[in-house]
Amino acid sequence: MFESFWRPTLTDLYWFSPELALVGTLVTLLIAPMIVGRSSRNATWIVVLGTLVTILLSWKVGGDVRSAGLSGLAPPEAAGMLILDNMSVYFKIVLMVFMLGVALLWSIGSAKKEKHAEEFLILLVGSALGMILMAGTLNLLMIIIAIELASLPSYAIVAFNKRNRRSAEASLKYVIFGGISSAIMLYGMSLLYGLYHTLDFARIAYGVVADLQAFAAVDVSSVAQSVDASMPAAQNTVAIGVALACFLAGIFFKIAAVPFHFWCPDVFEGAQIEVTTWLSVSSKSAAIVLLLRLVDTFSSATGAFPGGASLSALTGLAWGLGIVAAVTCTWGNFAAYRQNNVKRLFAYSSIAHAGYMMMAASVFVHPDSPLDYSPIAAVLVYILIYVFMNLGAFGVAAMVVWRSGNENIDAFHGLGRRAPWLAIPMLCCLVSLVGLPPFAGFIGKIWILLSLGASGGGLYWGLVIVAVLNTLVSLFFYLRIVKAMFFVDDGQESFTPPISGLAMVNVCAVVLVLMGTLFIEAPRRKAEFYASNLFRPAILKGGMSHAENAAIDATQGELLRLTEGVARIEGERNRRSDRQAQTP
Amino acid sequence: MFIVGLTHYLILAAVLFCCGVFVMMTKRNAIGILMGVELVLNSVNVNFVAFDRYRPGGGFDGQIAALFVIVLAAAEAAVAVAICMNVYKNLNTIDVDRGDALHG
Repeated sequence: MFESFWRPTLTDLYWFSPELALVGTLVTLLIAPMIVGRSSRNATWIVVLGTLVTILLSWKVGGDVRSAGLSGLAPPEAAGMLILDNMSVYFKIVLMVFMLGVALLWSIGSAKKEKHAEEFLILLVGSALGMILMAGTLNLLMIIIAIELASLPSYAIVAFNKRNRRSAEASLKYVIFGGISSAIMLYGMSLLYGLYHTLDFARIAYGVVADLQAFAAVDVSSVAQSVDASMPAAQNTVAIGVALACFLAGIFFKIAAVPFHFWCPDVFEGAQIEVTTWLSVSSKSAAIVLLLRLVDTFSSATGAFPGGASLSALTGLAWGLGIVAAVTCTWGNFAAYRQNNVKRLFAYSSIAHAGYMMMAASVFVHPDSPLDYSPIAAVLVYILIYVFMNLGAFGVAAMVVWRSGNENIDAFHGLGRRAPWLAIPMLCCLVSLVGLPPFAGFIGKIWILLSLGASGGGLYWGLVIVAVLNTLVSLFFYLRIVKAMFFVDDGQESFTPPISGLAMVNVCAVVLVLMGTLFIEAPRRKAEFYASNLFRPAILKGGMSHAENAAIDATQGELLRLTEGVARIEGERNRRSDRQAQTP
Repeated sequence: MFIVGLTHYLILAAVLFCCGVFVMMTKRNAIGILMGVELVLNSVNVNFVAFDRYRPGGGFDGQIAALFVIVLAAAEAAVAVAICMNVYKNLNTIDVDRGDALHG
């Protein structure tokens, strides 16, 4: 009976090898203490090796994706369960590079007195695996599994310092907000499933666009004819709205977009600084990539209709996302101004940066229209730059905090004299976070603004203005740290930080300078390439009508009924043979 | 004759959802909030299974989704209760309003 089920071949498993390498790292971390004994040094080496293998495999798989086209890692009927395309490969590599940095930071800091190094790293790698899956799926079930796989280890890793009151409280807030938002997200998913009878997001997006279009065209009969005739008339726009709002709430929670951002500052303040570094980039960028994929699915669904639906059906969604992005950005920047704790300050800064990225993610581009500046490429470049900015800034902050035991801005007083090789990279990272030339942050922001401007329309010009004003506001709170480092000196003694930490933050600063001056175009071209050729299931290419789509559903149902029948017959036979065996 | 249909299941799920949200908003005790979360997750399960049963064409994916939701709920409860224990050890309370070391 299993002939009818899809079984992966070796090639399919090869496409999936980066994820498998991460799983292998997890298992090795579990087994290693029994063989070579517990030591944080061994555990760190395992993670570094596992991460390097993952990067190499993603690189290799990425090269093959380029030559072999795109691949959904599933049978065609369930395409989108696991997606392998240029964007997911890119995200894997960037996230793994970032995890290397975090592991390095951890090994020079808390690892020395940590007795549970293996457990810490298992939680770190586990959440990385969840984030990688988030970036490569279009199936509601996989989305929720990936989000939970990313979240559950994050809750635990925040509470890792068990005797610390603040970290206990932070993890409680995190797990409660996270549980509530994922429950509400699941409710939205169940409504979407009920409306469109499928867990495949591509078909859901197709149905949503059809329904919204039919709703918008109630009194314009000419447009109504272009809607697929077999679609039911739109009566459920309210249900669609509620379902999508609940669904997006879960993603907004991961991004820490404004109505769902309350966990972010508390969690960032309560957690160890390495954990804060990890969460600040990874959970947000994974959710942003997922959002990009969903938005791309919606906008390419508009191209799938025979007459070519217009994007106007999605205006409401675009405005919703755009307004959330603008509010997130503004809120983050204004709230950061009042903070004294460096971790809290960076928490609000990361909320603001997530807002910038969401602005570009709210652009719906019609799949047929050529656009000079692709918003997806802009976000991908921004994520790369953001990784280096945050790794540098948090690296310096961590070394200062470990030295002084003080997390407030006054720990930075006189840093320019006390440890100039920390202060200079910190200056580079901060100016880059503001978004001023000649650093990479400026370039990243410019690409986002250009992609917003190129897509035109009142909403996007409004977002450009909001982003520029926000950059001015952010100047003030980042410069508070600069002022503390170079213009205030209360005579704290100078110190030499660990050499590997110095190397890491200075490399980050050099990368930021290079990407802001000599190599402006190269990362952009790379990202343009990685943002191209996104995986789009057949239904979104206009190749399949809604009727054909329903036919696939019916075949699947038929198949399942057949297998059910076979199972029943087999069960009957087994029972009969059992009875025969018992009789003598 | 009265026949139980999809609508009745959906009403049940909606009522469960509202109860869950109400519990989450009014309870001060962390365990109480988690019970609200479980109520919402169960309403999700009712939805998935009912939609699956009444969907044209048949298929299993809704029921499989419900199974996964049950597993996720168990995993989340395990992590959340462990965190509550840790909080109780540190703060001697699991009242979410009493956690005020972080001013959020």
